[in-house]
Amino acid sequence: MIRALRTRRVETAPFLLLTPALITMLFVVAVPLVFSLWASLTPYQLTKPATLWRFIGLENYRRALSDSAFWIVFGRTILFLTIALNVELLLGLGIALLINRITWGQRTLRTIMMFPMMFSPILVGFQFKFLFNDNIGIVNNALQSLGLTDQAIPWLVDARLAMFSITLAEVWMSTSVFAILLLAGLFAMPRDPVEAAKVDGCNAWQVFRHITLPFLMPFAYIAMAIRSLDVARAYDIVAVMTDGGPAGRTELLWTVIARVGYENAKMGQANAIAFISTLLSILFTWHFYRKLVAARRYMGGAT
Amino acid sequence: MKVIKRLVLGTALTALAAPVLADETWGDFPGYTLRVKLIGGAQYEPLYAEIPKWEAATGAKVEILSRKNHFELDREIKQDIAAGTLDWCVGSNHTSFAPQYGDIYADLNGLIKPEVIAEFVPLVIQHGTVNGRLVQLPRHSDVSNLFYQKSLYEDPAKQAAFKEKYGYDLAPPETWDQVKDQAIFFAAPPDFYGFQYVGKDEAVTGRFYELLVANGGAMFDDKWNPTFNSPEGVAALQFFVDLYNAKAVPAGVPNYLWDDTGLGFASGTVAMDLDWGGWSAFFNDPANSKVAGNVGLIRAPKGASGKRTGWSGSHSFSITETCDNKDAAASFVTFLTDYDNQMVEARKGLLPTRSQVWTDAIAEFEASGNTFNAEVMKTFQTSMAEDAFTPPLIPEWIEVSNVLWPKLQAAIVGDMTAQAALDAAAAEAATVMHDAGYN
Repeated sequence: MIRALRTRRVETAPFLLLTPALITMLFVVAVPLVFSLWASLTPYQLTKPATLWRFIGLENYRRALSDSAFWIVFGRTILFLTIALNVELLLGLGIALLINRITWGQRTLRTIMMFPMMFSPILVGFQFKFLFNDNIGIVNNALQSLGLTDQAIPWLVDARLAMFSITLAEVWMSTSVFAILLLAGLFAMPRDPVEAAKVDGCNAWQVFRHITLPFLMPFAYIAMAIRSLDVARAYDIVAVMTDGGPAGRTELLWTVIARVGYENAKMGQANAIAFISTLLSILFTWHFYRKLVAARRYMGGAT
Repeated sequence: MKVIKRLVLGTALTALAAPVLADETWGDFPGYTLRVKLIGGAQYEPLYAEIPKWEAATGAKVEILSRKNHFELDREIKQDIAAGTLDWCVGSNHTSFAPQYGDIYADLNGLIKPEVIAEFVPLVIQHGTVNGRLVQLPRHSDVSNLFYQKSLYEDPAKQAAFKEKYGYDLAPPETWDQVKDQAIFFAAPPDFYGFQYVGKDEAVTGRFYELLVANGGAMFDDKWNPTFNSPEGVAALQFFVDLYNAKAVPAGVPNYLWDDTGLGFASGTVAMDLDWGGWSAFFNDPANSKVAGNVGLIRAPKGASGKRTGWSGSHSFSITETCDNKDAAASFVTFLTDYDNQMVEARKGLLPTRSQVWTDAIAEFEASGNTFNAEVMKTFQTSMAEDAFTPPLIPEWIEVSNVLWPKLQAAIVGDMTAQAALDAAAAEAATVMHDAGYN
């Protein structure tokens, strides 16, 4: 009898120890998630709390998904994510390779490289907004002073230039995430395969293509997965630089969600769009996770 | 001579102000803590340095829970409404925001002494009234006025060239048609522009709205159907489109907000700027502005109907219905907007809301030889009394604005015609109003 009780106590101990963490998870993750899912099924308005209790089914989702403007924004968000993440990966890889090669001042450079990450996205937005201001901005003034143009280039108005300017601000702020993770990968890379390849007569490009890059790819996919979830921070940059305009040319899912949820106070509708946006993030994360597993398998690692 | 004048006037003003101070008692609230949420920012903070005087007079303490810009404060208040955490008493408010908060704020008629309310500019009190309830006590107001570079109008060569081209004398514009002529005449892009305007968010909606009103149009009919796609509305939007196409305004205006227009005019590269009074001190300060000493100011121009543009709004203070000590809260907001404190703010360049402060601040500026500030105050005083009007005071205003401004931009950058853009926006606005239960 005593032995049975002792055994049961031992069996329940792990669950008891996990209880605080489970309760915390429940309150921090599950409750808000369930609440926002419920809110997305109601006409909930922040300024009219009673609307939270009126169930309207999938009406908010139907409205969003049947609106052609929504799909344009959805497509633009995917395009923005794809371009920004790939450019950040390429630049981060280049920076990591360069820093890995130098033998003097590496620590200082690593610290300097992290500076953009330390800026809040709102500050980055203001910084680039004034850089690209067509009248008093430094970019246009420099181009005009150098005689490269006699026009005021509408960096934040033209559809392509505006998305380019926003992407540049996002890339400037976040490339260092890739650089740091890839640099960590380079530091962890064993030297033997590289030296063996050189002995076998491989040139620098072949060493990079067949040894360094495959070894770095798991690190790259980890960075991609993290950044695909984190890139919504770009909302602040877009809100400050263009607020989705002009004429919706730089509208992304996040600017729509913020405007509908807070300015229009229609939190039910905003939650429905946010859930669609979350599905997009899950899709990106799933894709990068699969790529990560494949890359590790290619390198002979665990799956 | 100036010093003597200043001393005499100062003494006279002190004598005038003294009875106000002597008569005013702020009440006794010993041990009470008044919880408040206030707008923050450099130009708004000096007033808060006066709060310890109220604390000393009443025995109460003020706990400032928030000091944020208006947009962040607006989000926070909406979250408080949603979460049912309106456990504070006084909040900063704004004419444009006030209607959307429903009935969370108390009617100040009855809480604030009628004789105190009577000391404010009547039109401003009217703008603070929503559905017959005075939900905000105005702290300072603003209304559109036109800044311009004086030297451009005094140049004989420009005067002659303008007369030859347009057939009338070059002078600060009286009408929006003249603004368009002059903006195109002065423009020499990319180095110099004739005019500029804020081009996004509620800012551009407001600019369109005031031209619409000046042209004789209206945002809604008396049944709250959107009517801004009228011929008057199309003419108003076409004004922005024409200036953009003529390159008379900077190419980036669709992304401009107040900072951009203010800094643009201060940079000396813009001839005319329709803007707020709060910028006047900045524009005339050589440390910040290349047009200092060269700034002229007139009332906003007239539209086709003969009415002047006059979009206006006030920063204000409100008291929550849930406040546990409304008397203390009423005493506090009365203190923050009293004669002395409005003089403190007027000296910093903010436009007051008490009639007497307008008069005395102008007299003080004239006595100290600050003719520019005196002129600014006089111009804005006239505008506040005769031209000022607010956006429709309905909870749906911001939401309607959010469907309208992207379409205004679409017309400006050439994606749609003015009529098509306004028709599309009117259809979306009608849905917003329908969803809100109007029709």
